[in-house]
Amino acid sequence: MLVARYSAVAHRTAALLGAGEETEDVVQEAFVKAFRHLRTFRREAAFRPWLLRIVANETHTITRSRGRRADLVLKAGAEPDLRVPDDPEDVAIATDRRAKLLSAVRALPEREREAVVCRYFLQLSESETAEVLGCPLGSVKSRTFRGLARLRKEVGGDLS
Amino acid sequence: MISPEDMEAELRALGEALDTPAPPPADVARAVRARLERPEQESPAERRRARPRWRWLAAGTAVLVAVLLGLTPQGQAAVAHILRLAGVEIHVGEPGPLPSGAPSPLPDEKRVTLDQARRMVRFPVQVPAMLGEPQDVRVSDGGRVVSLFWPGVRLDTYDGLLTVVWRKDLGEPWPEEVTVGSAPGWWIAGPHGLTYLPRSGGTQEPVERRAGPTLVWQQGQAGHRLEGVPSRDRAVKIAESMR
Repeated sequence: MLVARYSAVAHRTAALLGAGEETEDVVQEAFVKAFRHLRTFRREAAFRPWLLRIVANETHTITRSRGRRADLVLKAGAEPDLRVPDDPEDVAIATDRRAKLLSAVRALPEREREAVVCRYFLQLSESETAEVLGCPLGSVKSRTFRGLARLRKEVGGDLS
Repeated sequence: MISPEDMEAELRALGEALDTPAPPPADVARAVRARLERPEQESPAERRRARPRWRWLAAGTAVLVAVLLGLTPQGQAAVAHILRLAGVEIHVGEPGPLPSGAPSPLPDEKRVTLDQARRMVRFPVQVPAMLGEPQDVRVSDGGRVVSLFWPGVRLDTYDGLLTVVWRKDLGEPWPEEVTVGSAPGWWIAGPHGLTYLPRSGGTQEPVERRAGPTLVWQQGQAGHRLEGVPSRDRAVKIAESMR
């Protein structure tokens, strides 16, 4: 029941935070840890960010253990569908722009990238993001702000 | 240049376009169950746990359901306020009498060298340059805690991201918020009750003792508590000299 409810969001979080091919492994291990640590879970806390924090930690552990930086999102063979179907005139340009934006997000410093991924790709609130990344609210704000500024500089002017 | 709001909207749209496939939940549930039933290889403490996995899993699920439905009084602690940071839970309210007597060691405490300690744990073990080489180094609870000792001063570094490792009970005054480098921390000026909560949960007794003035902060994956430095400013300086 627990797994059924949170499986999709857990996979998405692990994939977007850079677990790559190990996404399924990360998620399974996270659920195992969640079950084993249930006694430390408090009712006044929300369950979803608590679980996602474990997912984020597992992702960290696994990307560290394989000795390289987390690759954002998707490995070859799982490239995202970047087409913009509602807009046939501008499909090519818009697709190009999304690809550019995605690679700019990939190139962000790790902490800014994690904050941007949580806030916009996973659409978590600032306080959920703070809990998932295990950092103070102020850091979420400043990392998101710096990440956004960098992205605007990278891709902001291209289409105007 | 594009406005921050438009950038945000564009990022959200991009996120929605990113497809992250997940296997059917039933398969995930099966795989998770298999892992929970598999004998553990993590720590001796956890290996000692004798109860069959499935029963634990069932109990865990029941607890979770109860928690989600709000059926248990969990979290409705009798104390006035609970603060959490860096694997430490601070209960501020009406503490009972301070624990007395000789402090017992942490579970599975071993005397090691600094290099051995660094190989035994998963988090970085740093030493405050201001204090120099520690006189004694201990690793406890299957590599969960590293304790460094100088005369009258103790520094615990521990795996503090996921679970509550220490509980502190104190009355007024409230712990003071401080900043160590750029990390948030707390300064507890007076003596207080300190309980170590073993990783194995119910199978080992929590270790309780009286603690002196303590600085608590988090750095990366690890939580830290520096105990025995009477001055707040000096404690923060020592913490900032960790290398």
